[in-house]
Amino acid sequence: MARLFPQIICGFFGVVLFVLYFLKAPSAKSLYLTITSDYWQIIFAFALLVGVASFIRVNIKKLSKLSESPYVITGLLGLFAMPVMALLWGIKGDSPFMWVFENVQVPLQATVFALLAFFVASASLRGFKARSLPATILLVSALIALLSRSDIFGWFGNSALEFSEWVRSYPSMSARRGILIGIGLGSVTTSLRVILGIERTWLGKDR
Amino acid sequence: MLDHPALLTIAINEWLDIAQLPTFFAAVIAILTVLYTTFHRKGRESFKIREIAGLKAVEEAIGRATEMARPILFTPGWGGDIQRPTTIAALNILSSVAEKTAEYNSQLLFPTHDPVIMSVAQEVIAESYSRAGYPERFNIDDTTYVSPSQFGYAAAVEGMITRLKPASVFLLGTFEAESLILAETGNIAGSIQIAGTDSTIQLAFFIVACDYTLIGEELFAASGYLSKDKSIMASIRAQDIMKVIIATVIILAIISTFVVPLSDWWKF
Amino acid sequence: MNSRQSRHLAFAGLFIVVTVTMLLNISIVATVSNETKQMFDYLDGLPERSNIIVSFDHEASSLPEMKPLGLVILRHLFAKDHNLIGVALLAEGTGVGYRLMQETAKEYNKEYGRDYVFLGFKPQFIAAILSMGESIGGTFPEDYLGNTTSEIELLSDIHNYDDVAAVVSLADGSLTTHWIEYGNEKYGVQVSAAVAASMLTTYDPYISSGQLKAMVGGLRGAAEYENLLGIGGSGARSMLAQSSAHLYIILLIIIGNVTYFRSRKKG
Repeated sequence: MARLFPQIICGFFGVVLFVLYFLKAPSAKSLYLTITSDYWQIIFAFALLVGVASFIRVNIKKLSKLSESPYVITGLLGLFAMPVMALLWGIKGDSPFMWVFENVQVPLQATVFALLAFFVASASLRGFKARSLPATILLVSALIALLSRSDIFGWFGNSALEFSEWVRSYPSMSARRGILIGIGLGSVTTSLRVILGIERTWLGKDR
Repeated sequence: MLDHPALLTIAINEWLDIAQLPTFFAAVIAILTVLYTTFHRKGRESFKIREIAGLKAVEEAIGRATEMARPILFTPGWGGDIQRPTTIAALNILSSVAEKTAEYNSQLLFPTHDPVIMSVAQEVIAESYSRAGYPERFNIDDTTYVSPSQFGYAAAVEGMITRLKPASVFLLGTFEAESLILAETGNIAGSIQIAGTDSTIQLAFFIVACDYTLIGEELFAASGYLSKDKSIMASIRAQDIMKVIIATVIILAIISTFVVPLSDWWKF
Repeated sequence: MNSRQSRHLAFAGLFIVVTVTMLLNISIVATVSNETKQMFDYLDGLPERSNIIVSFDHEASSLPEMKPLGLVILRHLFAKDHNLIGVALLAEGTGVGYRLMQETAKEYNKEYGRDYVFLGFKPQFIAAILSMGESIGGTFPEDYLGNTTSEIELLSDIHNYDDVAAVVSLADGSLTTHWIEYGNEKYGVQVSAAVAASMLTTYDPYISSGQLKAMVGGLRGAAEYENLLGIGGSGARSMLAQSSAHLYIILLIIIGNVTYFRSRKKG
């Protein structure tokens, strides 16, 4: 019963949403939006509470480990300080919340994002080798694509840009379309398996 | 006075979104194909799925973790939520991985950015441990919610990989710009890495930095491949049938544009 | 040299290249690509005082790349006297979006509530896009500043996508896809995008199918767009650093291949 009830709800809403998507009567549209917008936000709000509770529980347990405690304290401090600031002074304009957001969170996030450039450098050094003919073609295309985005004082003119646009528009796009069609079909069959109850892994299957 | 067909036309126009009809017919064809392959005897006839190297390596990756006494890290990426079929596909693979980690008594870490995914993953892992016969080995604190922010999540997972040095890392789900950060960190930590995503742009990064990469639909075929469940295998056959239908339509469209250059019946 | 040392050397080299070129503060006039020209022409061709939704679909992390793009698009739209409706589909785009709109509006003497409005953040992006298709006021009963949307002058004639000429999605990820799949496919609103360079190829299929009207991407795209608008900006200033980093990566690839072939020769 613990598995059957959620499965019935899932199947019912799956079918209802499918039908509603193709209807344009105002009542059908309103029901569609209520389910996709309001219901989902209510579910997410409660799940967020579970997530935050889990975050606090796991981190408090880690507090005793000396090697982990600096990270744990920083994480918990952020978790409690931001809502308190938002409640006391609001989140708009020049509030302390926005100050922390702009001067702590933005630089921290931009720093982690910037790590990507360093990892691209190490991955290029290690992984981009002309091991075979296809790998060499890929390598040369990548070099030209990089040059096309590096317009230093017009050194590379339009030819690199034109070649790069051609690669993106034809060979690369046709390959991507093939992959996208496969992904689309995979998504459709997975969704149908869930709605029809063939796929029950998300329920933890049967005990 | 209006006759019945006219009234019917008005009713259809008022209720049905005519612009969505092509999508509706395509969806109906997809549903019928899946139903046929799943429930019709002929559709369910056994067939072979070609070997997928990344999935063959799952056992090796878990065995390695046991030998090295290091954990296994599985993360579904920042780009997805529980509504996304890719996330469901990743959770299917998680179920098989968890069953094996339970048998081998390895630690399975599952950090995520989404509290709903966290709750579902906890349930999936707990069930897999029960199925394997070791429910007492399941530790709820290994499945954690870290941060909803993209690079907060990336930093948290990167930190876990750097500090705990997992023997194997599974990056399966919807990834965005965090993909290479995680994959390269795993590479530096010396982990065996199995990745798979529906984000075409991130596939390139995974191919460079990971040991095995599941490309696009291979991720969806994985649950059938790992579980050998006949119903799931049948839906993979449905995918192939639909692929043939799409290829046929494309070929017909190409021919028709050559024969009648102004034809546009395929632009629905 | 072991792999750890060579990796650290590669990291240090990149850091030096980017820092030095950023300090030089030289602007580059970028050759304009067809892609950027198409985006410029598309936005330029919209009738004056069109209602346009500018959606800040990015996080704070990508600001160094997204801010020049956002600025140049907003400058173009304000210069053409369009009515702008700002929204954010990711929480972190909210504060950033409001600041950007406010700063750019000042440059063009635009008035809040009459020429532009910022509606703020709505969680669950798919639901938000669908909901705006039915009613923008219903989706956002209040704007970012807490004003009732039904009382805002600009929004008095804008009810849903039927009254909107275009949506410009400023995205560092795949959120534009949802604008295409739900905004364009279900409600027929025209979608264009300014995206992070790494996402450009993701949207190529949608450009060729016509589901995405036009797009501009990355710092280079921002620099090209600044060039078309005839203004300077941070896009052109950051181009030297980015271009030098690209050349540095090319150098690393060449070094990696030379090492590979030498080691193969040695057997």
